[in-house]
Amino acid sequence: MTTTDGVGEDLALNDLQIDVDRDGVWRRLLAHGDTTQIDGTVAALSQQAVEAIMKHAEVFSSEKAFDALGSPLPLVPIAFDPPEHARYRRILQPFFSPRSIRPMESTLRRHLIELIEPLIARGGCEFVSEVAEVFPVQTFITFFGLPHEDLPRFMAWKNAILGATDASGHPKPDADPTAAMELLGYIGELVLARRGVPGDDVLSQLLCLEGEDAITDIDAVGLCFLFVLAGLDTVAGSLGQGMERLALNPERRQELVDDPSLIENAVEELVRLDPPAPFVPRVTSCPAELAGKSYPADTTVLNYLAVANRDESLRPHPFEIDFHRGENPHASFGLGPHRCLGSHLARLEMKIVYEEWHKRIPQYRITPGTEHRVRWPQGTLGLEALHLTFGGG
Amino acid sequence: MRASIDSSVCAGHGLCYTYAPEVFADDPNGYGEVRHGGQVPDDQQDAARRGAANCPERAITLTDQSR
Repeated sequence: MTTTDGVGEDLALNDLQIDVDRDGVWRRLLAHGDTTQIDGTVAALSQQAVEAIMKHAEVFSSEKAFDALGSPLPLVPIAFDPPEHARYRRILQPFFSPRSIRPMESTLRRHLIELIEPLIARGGCEFVSEVAEVFPVQTFITFFGLPHEDLPRFMAWKNAILGATDASGHPKPDADPTAAMELLGYIGELVLARRGVPGDDVLSQLLCLEGEDAITDIDAVGLCFLFVLAGLDTVAGSLGQGMERLALNPERRQELVDDPSLIENAVEELVRLDPPAPFVPRVTSCPAELAGKSYPADTTVLNYLAVANRDESLRPHPFEIDFHRGENPHASFGLGPHRCLGSHLARLEMKIVYEEWHKRIPQYRITPGTEHRVRWPQGTLGLEALHLTFGGG
Repeated sequence: MRASIDSSVCAGHGLCYTYAPEVFADDPNGYGEVRHGGQVPDDQQDAARRGAANCPERAITLTDQSR
């Protein structure tokens, strides 16, 4: 292969400038073809490579890949491979299907409206901490039937836990396990209290399942822990980055104001551009082939979803925001058996935010002189802050 | 036009029934299934193509019967 810009260099993930120029990083990695080595780990970059890995869970194991997030017990269900994985998915899937979450929509919409209405009179806000991070926690609390006064504790726990690992999911040297232990303690008590007590919320329903679908206390705790890790920062990260792109591209923003029916497409396009969990690990369970190369068992492979989503063979001008793409299949919610369980809920949350926000605050821009950097290095990408000033400018 | 979904490949992303609700439907677990026994209504062919093209798992096959 001929040497092109950026190819042949030694890459270290934590040194890439994702904080200030993520598109530039993805563009640079795109030049490396199907796979490359980053930090000595195999990086899968093309759509084809990512599909080959994520659709073949029997070769590229998820079970072996999730031991670094600070959880002392298996994270149900991502820390399992088929066939055990299939049992958990079969039990969980009905709770996360579109027809199960639809009845929550009006409640979630009301929460969001209550969150943004007070901002209007102020003429601006810090979108990340005031909207993007709060709404998913409210949703989680509604979904699990938890007391709303616990919201600040959840915010603090998940920030501490997710901030304790680097982009590859490895613990940072100064990582403190206290938050993980506290969260596990809280969840453990909750599971014991809800066991066998009928209720409308998902946790109570899960804990009332009997026979072969019955789940153990340990599994229930692992499951809740994963929901906190997977469901809160991801949606917050997507919303912050999505609103940043809209604020920086007034013509695209205006399109959503003029034609709200585009918002469903906009959710897909914005989450394609900024998958909040763009580094998905797998470990080979046997010798494996990938993009013409052979790897022994126990090779760690990191899937770079944001790069694969910019594969030009799948769509024209992949770095541009386009709400009119007829074909826009992307890997932001994963592929294959481990496809994001919460994808339908996440899509609903994002749709609600973009709809209600643009109805009330059609014009906004990034407040001059403020920073809007991605937190980095971290496995879940989101902005540190996004200061918005409302109105035309 | 006929539509079919390979249920061994479908992972329940739900884009087919979002983009083509007259062609595809969701089952209770969120997986896609064909409506009308897989027969695509004539005025729904574009929607069917869009639903199929956006399937991240490439689980949908459309067959043109017009010949």
